[in-house]
Amino acid sequence: MNSQAQNESNSGAGPAVRAAEASLKLIAGLAAPPGLVERVQAGIMAAPKRARILEWPKALRRDSGWMRTAAAAAIVFVVAGGGWGVYTRVQPNNVVVMPARVSVSGGFSSAGAMRTPQTLQGPVLAHPVVAKPVEPQVSASTGKKPVRSKRSKAALGAVVPPVQNAAK
Amino acid sequence: MSAGQAVFAGWMEIPETAADDRSRTQAEDATVAALVSEYAGTLYRVAFSVLRNASDAEDAVQEAFLRVLRHRAMLDEVRDRRVWLIRIVWNIVLDRKRRAKTRPETDDVEELVRVLPSGGLTAEQIASAAQHHAHVLACVDKLPLKEREVLTLSAFEELSSVEIATVLGITESSVRSRLFRARNLMAELLDHRRSLR
Repeated sequence: MNSQAQNESNSGAGPAVRAAEASLKLIAGLAAPPGLVERVQAGIMAAPKRARILEWPKALRRDSGWMRTAAAAAIVFVVAGGGWGVYTRVQPNNVVVMPARVSVSGGFSSAGAMRTPQTLQGPVLAHPVVAKPVEPQVSASTGKKPVRSKRSKAALGAVVPPVQNAAK
Repeated sequence: MSAGQAVFAGWMEIPETAADDRSRTQAEDATVAALVSEYAGTLYRVAFSVLRNASDAEDAVQEAFLRVLRHRAMLDEVRDRRVWLIRIVWNIVLDRKRRAKTRPETDDVEELVRVLPSGGLTAEQIASAAQHHAHVLACVDKLPLKEREVLTLSAFEELSSVEIATVLGITESSVRSRLFRARNLMAELLDHRRSLR
């Protein structure tokens, strides 16, 4: 057991624990089997040196300049061809033309609504009601017409005489 | 550099020449070979202390060095190669141990009888010692994982508390506290076992 850990572990350790630690220490100190290093070396040598990656064939690798140029040209060709293909397939003729909004002079506008829903027909009266002004009643006891307030006269639409004339 | 390479050098990575590649590979191979001869024994002992089987431990060491070979480009960045290698093999053996079924204690006894140094002892004494060690290992197996890991690694002379902490990815104080708990639990388990006998 290493010195630091051993100091801590041995402080107050019972004999059973110390014996157990001695066992662990013995097992941890067992020698490696002979020929281990050689076997591991042989295993490493037998292992593939490189991970499998996509790369150019060796015959083409020596002068890779033109291959790179060709690859770059191919990439450009594919990208440009793809763009052209998309362009030719999506023509302006296929664009859905929106109907022009008809503006009606006067009245309310549709506020830009594309479709005006049909509204319900409201109820129609058979005999239209005509508003009738109510005449003031003459009082039987006094024989005078009741004094109208300014507000009520104004409500009836009557012409109010000037105050000076009424005093005279 | 050809004209095509000169054009694309700004935005395309130009590979090194085959000669440079070959010499670099050779240098890396030599480094890995040096690591094998220096640390194979240490890694084997770490692996054996967990797996308790010689061939499994050897396989684990082999796998660890194959991983090193796969990541040999990183070797220059590694500060402490010994701890780095122990960490690799530790992860491998823990993974194998997790996948493997629980080994019966008799297997451990047989394996220990085989690998323990005889040192002038009789066959009976060796068998008795192996049985005792197997009992201890059975108690270690009953510990919680965290405590077990620390106790197992603390048995290695060459690993300090800091290095154990590095291997396990914890702090040094955690190593100490786990070791303390592990020892207390071990004492309880050994007492319990003794009372049963």
